[in-house]
Amino acid sequence: MRRNGWALVGVLAILALAGCGERQELETQAFVSVIGLDQGEQDHQVNVTFQISNPQVNTTQSAEAQKEPPSDIVTITAVDLLSAKELAQSSLSREITFSHLQTIIVGENLAKGDLFSHVIGSAIVDPEMRREAVLIVSKEPAEAFIHANTPTMETRPHKYYEFMEDNWRKTGFSPVSNLNTFFQRTEGELFLAAYATTERDSVGTKHDDEYLAGEVPQASGDPVQMIGSAIMQKGKMVGTLNGEETRISQLLRKKNLIETMTTTFPDPLNENYRISLIMNQSAHTEIKVNTDRTPVKIRVNVPVQVKVNSNIALEDFTTSQKRRDALKNTVKENMEQASDSLIKKLQEEYTGEPFVWYATARKNFWTVEEFEEFDWGEKFKKADVDIDYEVSIVSFGEQLRPPAFKKLKEGK
Amino acid sequence: MSDFLKRLFNGQSGQPEGGGEQDAIPKEPFSEVLDVNTKRFEDLFQYPLNSALKQRELQIPSVDRRAMVLFVDGASDSDKIAKQVIQPLLELKPKPGGESVDHLVDELKNNVLTISGRETIGDLNQAVAKLINGSAILLIDGEKQAIAVETAGFENRSVAEPSREIVIKGPKSAFVESSAINQSLIRRQVKDHRLVSETMTVGSQSPQEISVLYMSHIADPQLVENVKEKISQVDRDAILTLSQMEELLEVRPYSLFPSTMTTERPDRAGSFLLEGHVVLLMDNSPDALIAPITFWSLYHTAEDQFLRWAYGNFARIIRLCALFFSLLMPAIYLAVVTFHPEMIPTDLMLAIAASRERVPFPTLLELLLLELTFEILREAGIRVPTPLGTTIGIVGALILGQAAVQANLVSPLLVVVIAITGLSSFAIPDVGLSVMTRILRFTFVLSAHLMGFVGIALTFAVMLAYATSIKSFGVPFFAPLAPHMPSSRDLFLRPIVRKQWLRPLSMKPRNAVRAKPEGGDRP
Repeated sequence: MRRNGWALVGVLAILALAGCGERQELETQAFVSVIGLDQGEQDHQVNVTFQISNPQVNTTQSAEAQKEPPSDIVTITAVDLLSAKELAQSSLSREITFSHLQTIIVGENLAKGDLFSHVIGSAIVDPEMRREAVLIVSKEPAEAFIHANTPTMETRPHKYYEFMEDNWRKTGFSPVSNLNTFFQRTEGELFLAAYATTERDSVGTKHDDEYLAGEVPQASGDPVQMIGSAIMQKGKMVGTLNGEETRISQLLRKKNLIETMTTTFPDPLNENYRISLIMNQSAHTEIKVNTDRTPVKIRVNVPVQVKVNSNIALEDFTTSQKRRDALKNTVKENMEQASDSLIKKLQEEYTGEPFVWYATARKNFWTVEEFEEFDWGEKFKKADVDIDYEVSIVSFGEQLRPPAFKKLKEGK
Repeated sequence: MSDFLKRLFNGQSGQPEGGGEQDAIPKEPFSEVLDVNTKRFEDLFQYPLNSALKQRELQIPSVDRRAMVLFVDGASDSDKIAKQVIQPLLELKPKPGGESVDHLVDELKNNVLTISGRETIGDLNQAVAKLINGSAILLIDGEKQAIAVETAGFENRSVAEPSREIVIKGPKSAFVESSAINQSLIRRQVKDHRLVSETMTVGSQSPQEISVLYMSHIADPQLVENVKEKISQVDRDAILTLSQMEELLEVRPYSLFPSTMTTERPDRAGSFLLEGHVVLLMDNSPDALIAPITFWSLYHTAEDQFLRWAYGNFARIIRLCALFFSLLMPAIYLAVVTFHPEMIPTDLMLAIAASRERVPFPTLLELLLLELTFEILREAGIRVPTPLGTTIGIVGALILGQAAVQANLVSPLLVVVIAITGLSSFAIPDVGLSVMTRILRFTFVLSAHLMGFVGIALTFAVMLAYATSIKSFGVPFFAPLAPHMPSSRDLFLRPIVRKQWLRPLSMKPRNAVRAKPEGGDRP
């Protein structure tokens, strides 16, 4: 009995002590909040930039260090992420950990090359890497982007990206996606990553959301602009979508990830003005794919709800059904036109689509092999896509009628 | 070391037993001569040395016999003796008819003494037992029998409010140190002629009476038999309180999980009786011992049933949270901080990391330090004289925590964690359960230190496995939830009173149905 007891204690001790190696105190770790990846000077080398949060700035009053910067930015040139992480240790006193990594920024240069899929593919093997990290493609090198990104409101870098990413759900300017989706779409489907820059690229004014990052007319304020998206295919960047196209591509998905978006349309009653509408979806977009015929027939039905919260032409829509119908029609026509041109662009320039329509199409096949043989990407290029918007007006804001300035003017 | 442990657990002291045999009371009948009898009592009570035994000699005028009233000072009420024993004897008029000397003892017992509790006894052993329980003994010259008169007059405090099981709404009387008063408190709750109160004696040298209460039409006869057998098996010279009895009745005295509980509320004892439990009462113990018990007995409070359905259940949910907090909070903190930092929101993680930067100890030590301080504070809070008590409790905790943070001994978040844990442990109603969680908490902290969440999960699994396997007087600890048996489902939450029509079948009640069925399980 006693011998058994000692044996039991021995087994328990081995079991218990097995976990000790994993244990690490918080203060001995350096938490990376942002990683930047760039093409190195030599082939097969990457410049990895770590932005490490400084816990002593802006976290708790009792441990505030006043003169330290909120984050430490280190750039290391190495063959991959893991060796860069190790090399960075040569200058950093704390052990680098990715457990709170939220954002990965990739320079456009690297993203367009072949090396990127290798770098990011091998990085995900690391168990510390979180798959919910958001992928952002920066127009300039990621290192420059990280250095230039000094937002006024958010001192701590992780907070800035967290709020920014939350914002996307309400504006739709950038796609809501993360590394996990990136790794799901490795077979040729298109993946949209957020597109950002700190540079300014003046193109003059366009309609509200037709900008790409850097083009938004902005004076002063924070240096970073995030709007539009980078199209990735098979781990490689192949093009960009502007803000409007990005928004539409979110709407055309079966399950829209964006809560609301505000956009403008030409006012149906007064062509001098445009009208701003808040759009959201009450039901899921309906997608029907007929793979039996050639070309493939895709029918998409997008239900949208519209709220009129600003009406710069000061036209009164509330009293007349005709006027409301005109507004609905304008929205419908404009959205359908924009969607059609997006589809046309995708069909002409790329093979594949970012709307997850392939998932609907796949249902028509018994086995995955059959679907792979079908070659969805090529079939989509020639597909007959019919997009229909179903518009309903929810409200005209808190005050039903616009103020009567116009009548006064006309009266005079 | 192992020898020491063996000795400790076997409880051997190495001393031979049976040292008090010379003081045993001889079981011999009385003599006819009054002086011989008196002398025997004097010897037994070591008369001149020990002033406890009081004697009052008198001449019964009607029959012209000498008599002696004996009683123990402090145990009996001398006023009662004077008025209800001695006075009637002295005032006794000789009967006009023929004297029936043969039946003098019966005559006196039935027709003279005005007190209600009296009994004829034939031997010394019985007489001494009566004496020490407060009775007076009337010895008459020329008679081989004596009369024991119930004149017990122990000091009692009056029925007060409960101090442990406090309720806002509901009855506010608590048990006192007198078994008789306690029984009357229970009888007031359960007015049923089938409420049986059996009296047993424990303690070979200084016998104490223990009352076994149960409802004869509900309680499982085997259970009652089992409890009574356990009591009769107890072989100790003296048992002073029920708490001692509690440990002697238990099958697993070393276990952290209790298998009996005490309550100081007569209403609770009453409700346990009506569910088929056995209630033990003893003089000198201001509470009732309940057997058997389940986890639910420990987790429920009296107030759950007094408050309306929603309010009572809300309290239960809070208490369940408190139970988990008390058990797991420090362990989870430790596991998260040292093994799984990705689980905390980044802001909080950075704040903890920043405040930990200046703390010289590893998190485990920091945690144990504060936890130990809190336990000391709690222990001290009970012992400290009342006027200082509240000061020590609140100010001590706050100032100590604040100072420890400022001295960089502990991080501020840990103070919050320990404070919530401590507070939660006060929300657990039963003392046994509360202490159990406090001890188990350290086990969880240790396993979290060794293996993080995996350790916590493993320990929890082991704990649950053990808890579901143990039984208290044949009733599984988590019954009727696991193993599942029909009941009114008064478990984590309670149904409305109208639906509580079925007694839990895990108690094997003779009569399971309380009222006309309405919802719940069918037996």
